[in-house]
Amino acid sequence: MRKWWIYLLLILLVLFVIGPFIWMLSSSVKPEGEVLSQVPHLFPSHFEWGNYVAAWKSAPFGHYFLNSFLISAAETLFDLTFGAMAAFAFARIEFVGRRVIFVILLATMMVPGEVLLIPNYITLTNLNWINTYQGLIVPWMVSVFTIFLMRQFFLSMPQDLFDAAEVDGCHPMRTLFGIVMPLAKPIWITAGLIKFVGSWNAFLWVMIVANSPNLYTLPVGLVNFSSNVGTVYNQLMAAATFSVVPLIVLFLVGQRYFIEGVARSGIR
Amino acid sequence: MRLRRTMTAYLMLLPTLVLIGAFTVYPIFKSFIISFYDWDMLNPVRTFVGFSNYVHIFEDPLFRTALFNTLLYVVLFVPIVLVVGLGAALLLNAKIRFRPFFRTAMFLPYVTSLSATGIIWSWIFNNQFGILNYLLHFFGIQPQDWLNNTHLTMFNLVLLSVWQNVGYVAVVFLAGLQGISRQYYEAAQVDGASGWHRLRNITIPLLSPTTYFLLLLTTIEGFKVFLQVYVLYGETPGPNNTGLTLLYYMFNEGFNDYRMGYASAAAYVLFLITFIFTLVQMLLSRRVHYDG
Repeated sequence: MRKWWIYLLLILLVLFVIGPFIWMLSSSVKPEGEVLSQVPHLFPSHFEWGNYVAAWKSAPFGHYFLNSFLISAAETLFDLTFGAMAAFAFARIEFVGRRVIFVILLATMMVPGEVLLIPNYITLTNLNWINTYQGLIVPWMVSVFTIFLMRQFFLSMPQDLFDAAEVDGCHPMRTLFGIVMPLAKPIWITAGLIKFVGSWNAFLWVMIVANSPNLYTLPVGLVNFSSNVGTVYNQLMAAATFSVVPLIVLFLVGQRYFIEGVARSGIR
Repeated sequence: MRLRRTMTAYLMLLPTLVLIGAFTVYPIFKSFIISFYDWDMLNPVRTFVGFSNYVHIFEDPLFRTALFNTLLYVVLFVPIVLVVGLGAALLLNAKIRFRPFFRTAMFLPYVTSLSATGIIWSWIFNNQFGILNYLLHFFGIQPQDWLNNTHLTMFNLVLLSVWQNVGYVAVVFLAGLQGISRQYYEAAQVDGASGWHRLRNITIPLLSPTTYFLLLLTTIEGFKVFLQVYVLYGETPGPNNTGLTLLYYMFNEGFNDYRMGYASAAAYVLFLITFIFTLVQMLLSRRVHYDG
């Protein structure tokens, strides 16, 4: 068999990819003397769990977690609701301007959002939304990718379903939320997971809009913590660990949906 | 009937149109207008200055550095991540055991935030106690001062980005590979084509729609490079500005110096460059389109 080299290459690749995480875990439980050592060891002489306690206490991480969770959950809920409505209209209603609007929406996906930072910051200033939750959430309540994913799914559903609903005199909104969405569970789980992860990891916008630690999310809080503690690497790695673990767990639980959705993004 | 349908459709589209309109379409025009003004945001008065922001940008050696660094980053990052990602996808597409494990493991960096992984990498790059120098000494490589050596900045940034994105690229390529009909390979097998020939003459041409999609995506992603620099180097854009990118430049001008017109002009240059690249790639992909 010449398969061994396939496994060898894959194992090397996986080591490259998860090596940093292993090193993070290892450093996070090392006592102070061992983390800064010329000859590094994978396992510490004893597990210093106190690093986690010390890191957790040196910044309001509980608060950052709560912010991250609330903001990501709110964005995801709105995104799924509004996205489903838009996708339903595009997939299942014949209306004037359907093609043009859809193409324009797709084109906006190509615009690098970061370029719009300044005008959006000015808009937020005019709305008095700087340093507020709505400033963090509202601009991200709709994503074209969600609409795109859901539209594809709605197009693939049997026409009979929609005809039956129309004959029964169902309003499109009732058809959508009463009949279609329960059947479209896989796609909104997929879209929801992708959106949630994206919101959770958002950095630049939060950094600009949130001026006080009260509104920091985990990524911004973590970078702030890192520039404060400097080189206390065992605590830094402990903080990095509890920041990435929730998302890694979420990803592992929902990976089937997640990878499916990502893979689908490439097929047009 | 048609009118009622159109009304219903637009009502359902209303939140999307309002939000995308307000936070994506409107700002495209707004930043274009602001780029012709001298404005610090604190002062309500803004002065029309014509093209002078654009002129000043191209006269600023820092902007030229940022432009050069960004282009260099894109030119390195895009081909490397595509080649490594394709390689990984080909390996994953072979008849192997534990495929889900390998695929999941490779995808992890893509779902974890750069703010955390950047901190991990800056620890790995640490010049005194970093694991990278330790590992390299087994290969007889002298310890490097990774984060302070101007020659290594681009290497660090590209390494971090390739590490972060390779799983994503591999998963998308894998989906593309699995979409290629087995018939082609069976026919090639009958003709006695070697593995290399099958890759060269079947896989790569039939994969080209996926490749173009990824090329487009990673290029746009590449032009926006900023966070990698910010998390690895903190408030300075790398030693001696070697990590200064277009977005970093815009960020500094806008949010540190509050020169909103000037920063908008920089943002517009970045936008136009991305736009031109996107357009060129789309035209090219239309010319070289293979049907599977």
